[in-house]
Amino acid sequence: MPGPGIVLNEAPWYRSLSCLVGPVLLFLMLLLGCLLLSITLGASELSWQQIVNLFTAQESGHVERVVWQLRLPRALLAAMVGIHFALAGFILQTLTRNPLADAGILGISAGASFTAVLAILGASLFVSGLESHRQSQMILGYLPLLAMAGGVTAAGLIYWLSGAARLTPLRLILTGVVLATILNALVTGVLALWGHSQTEMIVEWLAGSLHGRDWQHLAVLWPWTLSGLTACILLQRPLNLLRLEDDQVLSIGLNLRLWRLFALIVATLLAASAVGVVGPIGFMGLVVPHICRRLSPHDVQQQMLLCVAVGALLMMLADLLGRIIIVPYELPVGVVCAMIGVPFFLYLLRRQP
Amino acid sequence: MSLVTQHIQMGYADSIVIDDLSVKIPQQQITALIGPNGCGKSTLLRGLAGLLAPQRGQVVLQNKALPSWSRQALALQVAMLPQKPVAPDGALVRQLVNYGRFPYQGLLRSASREDLEVVEWAMKRTGIAHYADKPVQALSGGEQQRVWIAMAIAQQAQILLLDEPTTYLDWGHQLEILELLSQLNREQGLTVVMSLHDLNQAAQYSDYVIAMEQGQLIAQGTPVQVITPQLLSRVFKVRAQVVPQDNGKPYCIAQGTVSAADLAVASEKEVA
Repeated sequence: MPGPGIVLNEAPWYRSLSCLVGPVLLFLMLLLGCLLLSITLGASELSWQQIVNLFTAQESGHVERVVWQLRLPRALLAAMVGIHFALAGFILQTLTRNPLADAGILGISAGASFTAVLAILGASLFVSGLESHRQSQMILGYLPLLAMAGGVTAAGLIYWLSGAARLTPLRLILTGVVLATILNALVTGVLALWGHSQTEMIVEWLAGSLHGRDWQHLAVLWPWTLSGLTACILLQRPLNLLRLEDDQVLSIGLNLRLWRLFALIVATLLAASAVGVVGPIGFMGLVVPHICRRLSPHDVQQQMLLCVAVGALLMMLADLLGRIIIVPYELPVGVVCAMIGVPFFLYLLRRQP
Repeated sequence: MSLVTQHIQMGYADSIVIDDLSVKIPQQQITALIGPNGCGKSTLLRGLAGLLAPQRGQVVLQNKALPSWSRQALALQVAMLPQKPVAPDGALVRQLVNYGRFPYQGLLRSASREDLEVVEWAMKRTGIAHYADKPVQALSGGEQQRVWIAMAIAQQAQILLLDEPTTYLDWGHQLEILELLSQLNREQGLTVVMSLHDLNQAAQYSDYVIAMEQGQLIAQGTPVQVITPQLLSRVFKVRAQVVPQDNGKPYCIAQGTVSAADLAVASEKEVA
């Protein structure tokens, strides 16, 4: 960890950057390690020799297809949605001053799920001509945008119902919890009434899964990852200040309404775009910020950077675990996250000073 | 920097807390707001700081109504310390005091040499420099209050508003805070407006006193003009003796509540 010098940025910029070199190198090495594991392990075992051959262009056909078309994009996508959920959770926890907030608990994921389920069902009604595999591939391409529309609508409702400009963090989280309950009930209701034709696909999607995701999904998601990360650079100082009481935030000159709304929008877009691609994966958004605050207790800026690293690595590992734990079957990454995330979260709570 | 309220009515939702209040804050002086709990002292301070907009009337700073000031420009002129703020998890003393420099730094610029010097100065003045790298939550109530005051003075605004800055502090720490404020007032010409519960402290440390009751202005003027037995019995329902001290400031000695006095008079009558 960088020393206390970075806390205030009192060092010149290159010094504070040089503090980051170590951690960033460590992160890249871990990332590379996870990537190599992800492309080697799985239902069809590849040997290290085959992987090495792949890079020296001596391997083709099956191995090339498995690595380039299936495992690599999937691992990269896992890292990206990990970043999305972790940052969204971090922003929402800071914004609501509540360590339990995340996109799932606030109803943003539920809003995204609701429109996505409607879209899957709607498509099965109107495009019944296509064979089911092609059809689901096609829908997966459109889901991110539709899910984002749902997530943004849900966030808008939460913002409006909790008093818009007169919003308080507590009211925001209570409204979110209520809306999440209603939306999740609606999802279940729709599924029970009209879900028969697509139950399998919807249930898998709702569990949160990276199965069958490829470059196409990566292409849909990366602009949102990039704009989300850029927005986070702007957000770091306001997020620092939003931890204070409203009256203090205002009296040190931050436009509270504007930045609170902006932070909510950024968190919503990050979470909802990820939900659209891989389904509502819970607990990442809840647990990762806690890990990062544990790793760097004092500095919001470092905590955000850590969220990017820890979110990416953990999601990639969770997906890898889901793929190798009961070969040849696959445990959805959402299930793995819940199974690791919940006990770990309880452990963190018990160790809370 | 002149700060004036013009016929303001303030409140929350349906309840009116302050009604038709006009007051001019004396520049480069220390003003004490006194009055019973719930009389609108905090609400008036929030109005003066532009944190709560009046429902009617307006608050004017330097001939310009508060809503036409940008938040950042206002923060350079007016700093406000609310009552008993809660420190964020894990925040260090130095970080919180540095937040007071936000109006000078904006979103992306990091702390300048001047910012760092002001932060050091603010921590020294409030006697917390040796806690600089400790988490605020690990400090005692009195120390935390000094951190908040350091953050407020690091803002280097010309007007400092404080809502009960001495509440929750022991006697010695109360006096330390008040002496610090009067030093800053003398040395830097800082305008201070604070609500206080201790009338003798209000009399001792302020140049000007504003007495409020049920959202109305009851009296304003120098401590001698305002703090009188008549006012104390009217506003606080307390029977008190007010004696002048050597330095000319009044000193109050409470003798009991007005209702107890009434009861005593009533029972005397019965006996007779």
